[in-house]
Amino acid sequence: MAKKKFVVGSFDNEDVLFPAVKKVRTAGYKIHDVYTPFPVHGLDHAIGIRETSLHTAGFIYGITGTATALGCMGWIFTTDWPVNIGGKPHFALPAFIPITFELTVLFSAVGMVITFCYLCQMMPFVKKHHFSLRATDDLFVMVIECTAKTNVDDLKAFLTNNGAIDVNVQEAEPGWWFGRYDKDQQLIRDTYVQPV
Amino acid sequence: MAAIKEKFEIPGKMRTWSLALIAIGLLLTIIGFITKGLSSEEHERAVFWGTLLYNSLYFMMICNACMFFICATTLAMGGWDATFRRVPEAISTLVPIFGTIAGLLMIFIVLSDKGYIYQWLDSKEVAHSKMIQGKSGFLNKPFFIIWTLLTIGLWSVLGARMRRLSAETDNGQLSYEQGKSFVWRNTVTAAMFIVWFALTTGSVTPWFWMMSIDAEWYSTMYSWYTFASTFVAGMSLITLWVIYLKNKGYLELTNQEHLHDLGKFVFAFSIFWTYLWFAQYMLIWYANIPEETIYFKHRVEGAYRGIFFFNLIVNFVCPILILMKRSVKRNYTLMTFMAVLIVFGHWIDFYQMVMGSISEQHVTLLSSGWLDFGVAALFIGLMILIVGRSLASRPLVAKYHPFLKESIIHHT
Amino acid sequence: MSLKYESQLREPLVDGDKNYHQVTVDICTPIEVKPSKLWYVGFYISVALLLFGVYSVYREVVYGTGQWNLNKTVGWGWDITNFVWWVGIGHAGTLISAILLLFRQGWRTGVNRAAEAMTIFAVMCAGQFPIFHMGRVWMGFFVMPYPNTRGPVWPNFDSPLMWDVFAISTYFTVSLLFWYSGLLPDFATVRDRAKTKLRKLLYGIASFGWTGSTKHWQRHESLSLVLAGLATPLVLSVHTIVSFDFATSVIPGWHTTIFPPYFVAGAIFSGFAMTQSLLIVVRKVLHLEDYITIGHIEAMNKVIVLTGSIVGCAYLTELFMAFYSQNKYEAYAFFYSRGNLFSPYGWSYWGMMACNVLSPQVFWFRKLRRNVTLTFFMSIIVNTGMWFERFVIIVTSIYRDYLPSSWTVYYSPSIWEVGFYLGTFGLFFTCFFLFAKYFPVIATAEIKAILKTSGENYKDRMTPIEKEEPAEFVHQFAH
Repeated sequence: MAKKKFVVGSFDNEDVLFPAVKKVRTAGYKIHDVYTPFPVHGLDHAIGIRETSLHTAGFIYGITGTATALGCMGWIFTTDWPVNIGGKPHFALPAFIPITFELTVLFSAVGMVITFCYLCQMMPFVKKHHFSLRATDDLFVMVIECTAKTNVDDLKAFLTNNGAIDVNVQEAEPGWWFGRYDKDQQLIRDTYVQPV
Repeated sequence: MAAIKEKFEIPGKMRTWSLALIAIGLLLTIIGFITKGLSSEEHERAVFWGTLLYNSLYFMMICNACMFFICATTLAMGGWDATFRRVPEAISTLVPIFGTIAGLLMIFIVLSDKGYIYQWLDSKEVAHSKMIQGKSGFLNKPFFIIWTLLTIGLWSVLGARMRRLSAETDNGQLSYEQGKSFVWRNTVTAAMFIVWFALTTGSVTPWFWMMSIDAEWYSTMYSWYTFASTFVAGMSLITLWVIYLKNKGYLELTNQEHLHDLGKFVFAFSIFWTYLWFAQYMLIWYANIPEETIYFKHRVEGAYRGIFFFNLIVNFVCPILILMKRSVKRNYTLMTFMAVLIVFGHWIDFYQMVMGSISEQHVTLLSSGWLDFGVAALFIGLMILIVGRSLASRPLVAKYHPFLKESIIHHT
Repeated sequence: MSLKYESQLREPLVDGDKNYHQVTVDICTPIEVKPSKLWYVGFYISVALLLFGVYSVYREVVYGTGQWNLNKTVGWGWDITNFVWWVGIGHAGTLISAILLLFRQGWRTGVNRAAEAMTIFAVMCAGQFPIFHMGRVWMGFFVMPYPNTRGPVWPNFDSPLMWDVFAISTYFTVSLLFWYSGLLPDFATVRDRAKTKLRKLLYGIASFGWTGSTKHWQRHESLSLVLAGLATPLVLSVHTIVSFDFATSVIPGWHTTIFPPYFVAGAIFSGFAMTQSLLIVVRKVLHLEDYITIGHIEAMNKVIVLTGSIVGCAYLTELFMAFYSQNKYEAYAFFYSRGNLFSPYGWSYWGMMACNVLSPQVFWFRKLRRNVTLTFFMSIIVNTGMWFERFVIIVTSIYRDYLPSSWTVYYSPSIWEVGFYLGTFGLFFTCFFLFAKYFPVIATAEIKAILKTSGENYKDRMTPIEKEEPAEFVHQFAH
């Protein structure tokens, strides 16, 4: 991806942020993202992103675990190497329940965390552009993507009028790259020009 | 929004239905009494009294579970239930009434030496069972009767005290100090109720009332299991009444958010019940000691096999699969269906707990189910009638409850 | 967006005049400054204990389990006692984060991070015991079910000990994931405040490149909720399975159906006690009294009295059933080996009763629940009592088995058994000291999320709302 131009407005109060988000959207600007120090309830709906279906993935991983556990234990004890254990049936369902349950949980949890990291593009040594370092401290940072039609000065004034305590313009790479936070790195592919 | 509707008016249909159910129930119970209760065969008489026993115990205990719910949320400083708190309160007014019925029934059974219900009353059995003789320090008539009276009596008294406290929130805004004192007194009474509940439902009482039917068999889990069974059914009962009132246009402050949380309770405690069920069953199955496995012998391998698995399907498989989804817990129709299913499912659970021991070879629900459903209809009819009246007798919303506003903006 | 309102009757969860930035500063400062002398003293003591433990284990590995005083019938002694004890302690963290999350107990936000860390360290300690109890620890991989050239010989899936392998490892993994996913945003906070290069590098790696994007928060919330939902039955299952180790057997005093829920209650009981012991020190040393308030301590004490009473109820149930069952062996186990104060191990049973059932009853009184010194003292009493409980269950049931000829002399641990136990304390506290120094000990993001409803300085804003008539309030809320 190539670098893009963003207008960044920082808010120090989520009660001001909400009406601002609404106005920005009605004015037709494209909100790239809002960065917040904690999960703000209802913000995802306000900026118009759809519900996540991560939990559905979790359910599927879970039943995979159930099937794996029951399938493996059943096959091992009835087909591969049947042993008489205390006179119990070979397919001793009550005795299989604990392991089945554990594997269900294990598959579901591990699968979901990996999916979460994949979806959010998160991993050790992953680096992204941070529009404001205070977004993890006390500011709610609204980032608006500039298109060819965007009048940057108008937009800046618009944000200030709607309660932003700080407004600036940044050119940044919207994606992620491998990097370290102790070095000021840029993505090498910056020179790449996106075909129109 | 207009003013909050506080006055519940009993719809004519509701009264008709309740009276009809009571009439049918009474009629069938009387027929049952004549054909079975007065029968010359001991087994038939056992079926009649046993049917009365498990029904009265079940309906009393699920109503008491509603009071348990109130007390537990009070102790946990829960605020989300404030908008519909009057519903479990109204249901719990049944405890003294069903308690009287169940108590009198049990005292009658014990005093009239109905050995075909409680094995330890049967002098012939006791004579050749050293084990039962050894238990006479616990399984004896005076102790049974006193404990039964104490159990039901204190449930009723402490429950009534909780309801009286709740009436304080009808009269006007509580100041900060009044609110503090209100919460404090509620906490104290709730704690007393919970302690007594733990000593009764959580331990001694189910041993007397139900476990002693098989006087030689024992399981330390039994009371926990009974508690879980009645609690989840009690939560379903609350859900049913909340949905009914919403359908009639009342409880406008209660919404999907509250329904969702009720659904979570039903879901979670269905799993909890299954957990206890599994722990009890698996441990007995695994250790394979004849004295213990005898309890499951006819339930798993004998006549009750169908009921046994039906019990698991209705009370575990259905809730876990259906209630897992968020949208189901927020859907009034599906929640109604699930609540009915679970109240019915745990009724079946009680059926197999009690009748599985009284009538080991015959599943009476299949041969003479009219009696079971008849007695249940009698209790359901009484429940509709009395809960309707209790709801109508007080404001439907505890308007000045300190946590009402939190409950209004409650969000799952 | 929902209205920010909470009843004034609720005690504030964050004391003092706080804003978002102040929260960040308060929680991140301990990470950014040099630790106190006390920290070094504690840390070195822990490391010393750990080293002693390592040596004790070395003795056991090299010379065999004969280094321990286990004997003919007491095949499970201190090792399994300690295992169950540590696993039990490792239940509070997940309970606080998961069950209390589902039950919406707001106070969990102040204590969940530290409690979860404690959980993970406790499970690490617990795991050592069964591993080294195997004797030939280098054959430990035999428990893994994989197609092998030995037949293939599979582990016995019908055995509760095998269930334990799955339960403990799953529990450890899931707790770690849950804890770490919660830490990501807070690591990002530390990273973005970092001044030194090293800190930027390390916290940068640890934070996985977290930005605070709304979409990420949305997924993060969903993830936390589902993990909480999974962890809730998981935490129950773990101690349940530990209880199965005993309850599936036919040993008097072990085979009883109430074991699963009663073990779980006991685990929560001891876990909360350990959380109290640690947090009372942490809040003092790191100056976090505003976040871990007396209200938090009181709430945890309520859980302690509740679970302590449940455990007490279960003890009495067992005792009663020993009589009710009319089983001679049960009666011997309960009324002689345990209940008789003058039998060889009677002291441990009554010690357990005094510590676990009687002493927590002081927490029925509000004044005592809010007394920090007493709480600290009680937390240690409770954990001692819970250690006794496991010792009672294990040793008193097996030192005299069915065959009087194999009854053994008094079992007391060898120095290397004790050393192993002390070593796990070393491991636990070493980890905890490192955690307290390098990790945000309080879930910063979660505190910020509740600040405006539960912060002390925001409580006054509720006054006009409190005064409103319910109908007016509904009207206002609708808009």
